[in-house]
Amino acid sequence: MSNLKNKKIPEEEFFKEREEVLKAWPTGEDVDLDEAIQYQKDLPEHKKMSARLMQAEEEGETLIQPRAGVALPDELVELLSYLDEEGEADLLPVTIDSYTRQNQYKEAEQGIEESQEMGRSMLNGFPAVNHGLETCRKVIESLNLPVQVRHGTPDARLLAEITMAGGFSDYEGGGISYNIPYAKKVSLEDTIRDWQYVDRLIGYYQEQGVDINREPFGPLTGTLVPPAVSHVVAILEALLAAEQGVKYLTLGYGQNGNLVQDVAAIQTLRELADSYLTDEGYDDIKLTTVFHQWMGGFPQDESKAYAVISWGATAAALSGATKVIVKTPHEAMGIPTKEANASGLKATKQIVNMLKDQSLEQTAKLDREKDMIKKEVRAILDKVKELGEGDWAKGTVRAFEAGVIDIPFAPSKFNKGKILPARDNIGAVRYLNTGNLPLPDDVKAFHEERLAERGEFEDREATFQMVIDDIYAIGKGMLIGRPRE
Amino acid sequence: MENQSKPTVVLGVIGADVHAIGNQILEHALKEADVKPVNIGVMSNQQEFVSAAVETGADAIWVSSLYGHGEMDCRGLRDKCKEAGIGDILLYVGGNLVIGKQSWDDVKDLFLDMGYDRAYPPGTQPETAIDHLKEDLNEYNLEGEINAASPAY
Repeated sequence: MSNLKNKKIPEEEFFKEREEVLKAWPTGEDVDLDEAIQYQKDLPEHKKMSARLMQAEEEGETLIQPRAGVALPDELVELLSYLDEEGEADLLPVTIDSYTRQNQYKEAEQGIEESQEMGRSMLNGFPAVNHGLETCRKVIESLNLPVQVRHGTPDARLLAEITMAGGFSDYEGGGISYNIPYAKKVSLEDTIRDWQYVDRLIGYYQEQGVDINREPFGPLTGTLVPPAVSHVVAILEALLAAEQGVKYLTLGYGQNGNLVQDVAAIQTLRELADSYLTDEGYDDIKLTTVFHQWMGGFPQDESKAYAVISWGATAAALSGATKVIVKTPHEAMGIPTKEANASGLKATKQIVNMLKDQSLEQTAKLDREKDMIKKEVRAILDKVKELGEGDWAKGTVRAFEAGVIDIPFAPSKFNKGKILPARDNIGAVRYLNTGNLPLPDDVKAFHEERLAERGEFEDREATFQMVIDDIYAIGKGMLIGRPRE
Repeated sequence: MENQSKPTVVLGVIGADVHAIGNQILEHALKEADVKPVNIGVMSNQQEFVSAAVETGADAIWVSSLYGHGEMDCRGLRDKCKEAGIGDILLYVGGNLVIGKQSWDDVKDLFLDMGYDRAYPPGTQPETAIDHLKEDLNEYNLEGEINAASPAY
């Protein structure tokens, strides 16, 4: 292994690397860090993500946020203003296009040109690096809410430089969560290192008094990810970010669909992260949570899609998540119109408002789910620390090599891909195959029993076919993929 | 012997697209249907599709695109096949092929004009394309060997 360590990057080394980072595309040269820090400080309070999240946390609100981004700035402002005014969004995103995510700035440039010629967006997001920081600032200045960068970029250093200098106040991603589900052959060591840079940059802003929020990407591959698997990644990325000086963190989880399991997931995510951060000596971190409405396949029918959206809104509100990321009734068709996007937001707003003062009873079943998630997370993280000889960064790389952390359905060759999830007879996500996850025997037995129960009910063995049925189920109007015919 | 006579399909997700789940399911469905999948995975460029098809003597190339850049990524694949000497190969494309909700008939025409033999909207079951593959291969009826291998169709 190289000299990857979970250790704050020395300032001198950081500034040296920074020179190289800014050269990767001409717009990098416009970034002046001192000027950017002043710009961030001068942003009005209502455009600062950390402040808005803290307020929601205190008042027990669940804020709503869409995903959205188009190729050109004027259209982007029009879209985001619409989602604010008509969609009643509390927080705004700028989703970055997929070429930029792969650092393919030339292709992104072509996408900008074609979008101008065609009069419609040919890119699935906003190529912020190509547009540069002045254009980013125009966008931020034209909007009335805090704006987050949402993407999926393994090497997001230049994007971070430009967007942070451009006035965005929240940055999604992490060295694990934006690699394993988003890349095929980028090494984990490289992405962890590159994200240490991003966190160091945001830590630097923090040292100068600018509270920028960071959000590891919770849902990973977005389909049947067991809560403990995504929690392990979220907690590791939180620890890595905290070491670089990040103070504001939002940890995420993608809805699975069984209400008790989903509520248990958000509650344990908060409890576990708080405990690990404190134990590691990061005791001044401001933690919030984000719940992602179902990230897998959606029904084509818009009414049915609204039902999925609303169920996600319900689970988000009852779990007490600080914010919820909202889907749209066009999800099955791809990128939505602004009207569809706004209508997903409004459906969600209605539910989170109605449920604001309610929560789920702490029942024995909820306790059991929470207990199981905590045991799994602790077993995996104990092993990660052991493999890293006390170093979380090293441990993460070795844990992926050994399959001790394993993300289902991920495209990366640095992921073992041995574990297989499936729903049990009440729709909670269990392990059909635990691969090399170091789970205690009683935990494994619990998952086996739950799946055996379903197998008996359906009169079939639990196989890959069952997993496929589960993947398609919500799109076909069910939660559990019962046998066909 | 039997392996040689199975139809072969190169499949993958084109461009900078990382959607991996449908790709894995499609591979599984092809195997189940007695078709040999050559899966080049996510984030594959046109040249990788063509090279894999040439190397494996594939009968068809199945291109998936879910992230909206399909229109830019898929253009010119037929020409690349022609340059590589496999101009007649079956080309199927499917997924969320364009940005925004557009009429499927228009989208389909766009891709058929690009030289694809078939185009599929989101939500298509793997079985639909597999049935078409078998039909299309039957029409070509390449030296009768596919008929001989799989009398079921």
